[in-house]
Amino acid sequence: MLQTESEFIRVLKDRLEGTLDPAELDDIISDYAEHFRIGKESGRTDEELFGSLGSPDDIAREIRAMHLVKRAESNRSCKNIFHAVVATLGLGLFNLVVVLAPFLLLILMLFVVLMVGVVFTLVGPVSLLYAILQIAGLPAHAIWLNPVAGFFIATGITTLGLLMLIGDYYLARFFYRAGIRYLKWNISVITGTEENP
Amino acid sequence: MNKKELPSDDQFACLIGRLNLSSLTGAKIILWLVAITVVSFAIGFGILAITGDLSPSAGHRGSPFIASAMVSPNTTVFALDRSTAGAVRITMGAGELTVHGGAPAGTLMESRVFSTAPEWQPEYLQSTNGTVMTVSMTDPGHTGKEWFSVDSPNVWEVALAEDAPISLDAKLGAGDCTLTLGTLNLTGLSLNTGAGETLVDLGGYRGEVFSGTIHQGVGDLTVRIPRESNTRIVINQGIGDLETRGLVPTGNAYTTPHFNPAGANTEIFIHQGVGDILVEAI
Repeated sequence: MLQTESEFIRVLKDRLEGTLDPAELDDIISDYAEHFRIGKESGRTDEELFGSLGSPDDIAREIRAMHLVKRAESNRSCKNIFHAVVATLGLGLFNLVVVLAPFLLLILMLFVVLMVGVVFTLVGPVSLLYAILQIAGLPAHAIWLNPVAGFFIATGITTLGLLMLIGDYYLARFFYRAGIRYLKWNISVITGTEENP
Repeated sequence: MNKKELPSDDQFACLIGRLNLSSLTGAKIILWLVAITVVSFAIGFGILAITGDLSPSAGHRGSPFIASAMVSPNTTVFALDRSTAGAVRITMGAGELTVHGGAPAGTLMESRVFSTAPEWQPEYLQSTNGTVMTVSMTDPGHTGKEWFSVDSPNVWEVALAEDAPISLDAKLGAGDCTLTLGTLNLTGLSLNTGAGETLVDLGGYRGEVFSGTIHQGVGDLTVRIPRESNTRIVINQGIGDLETRGLVPTGNAYTTPHFNPAGANTEIFIHQGVGDILVEAI
């Protein structure tokens, strides 16, 4: 149980150190100090102020999650989106369902498309080579029922593989942006700062 | 390569300009890839459709690949030893069966099973009665999940001796059956298939006369016999078209053009339930 304003500020600072830039951390700490100062000037007690603000641990988690989501938005990388998702998960058990499950499904889908694309891109040229060998009359390499058809199908498999790789890249970009927006919306709902459309 | 032969940056730029690669944007590349993919698949599968190789009933489950191309076969050989004749009985539940001549010298039969999974291996039974060796090759049957096994193109290829008289008895529940028997010396032929396409090719047959029966449930049947042979074919067909080429209708049967009933002749009885029949003398 927190007893004083300085204890509240210390806990908040401890939780956010290492995540936020020192300048940004100082801004946040000074905002909360200002909040306490104004509250006390208006005659409110520490207990009342603690009650209105909530736990510094919860506040730190929300600030951290929003900070990491914004960082993932401005600096796109797998590591950043992963950190943002993990930080958002820490906001509540409910997020295991509404954040982690969709996130894992998306990762799985992108991975499957990537793998299929890689396999097609590799298998296509090999089967194309087999078709050419078969057309050239090397029966030991016969894998196609019809080598001429095989030539075209192998070409199609190769280009389809390349398209899947390109498509996977654009899908990843699309889902990255959509994911950031979803995480922001999720945080705003949890923290009660959701804006009405 | 000496220094003078190296292309300069200007030459590369000129080459790029000639190929007009600079105008290839990401969207254009994607559109080209889509176009190539669609056109390639359309042409490829179009060829397969026209040639009939796309039909799932043609023994390759609708795939453009040869079903057994990626599987190393398990080969079993039965030596004739002191036998001078053979009887081969093949019983297969479902799959693709091919029988032809060309067994290695001194052997009655060489079977190749295109699966490495133990549950897909046929059971063999060998016995000798006097000078006749009998070999049975039987599908042990499979449980449901085995049909989805990665090793499950159930494809058997059987090569038989060309220099020994052989009686062939083949039973296939479902699947395609190709018997290319023109180089064999048959003493009897019995083929019983449930569903699938069947080809019995006796083109170029020079062996002894024999009596054969072909029972087919559902599916198309093609029988080829040598035009110069003394052969009579009796056809009992249920539903489907019957086409004969190079044969003479004689009562309820068809004979080769120079058929002589007084001489030794080959008789083939065909019983079919549903499907088209093509019998041709070649």
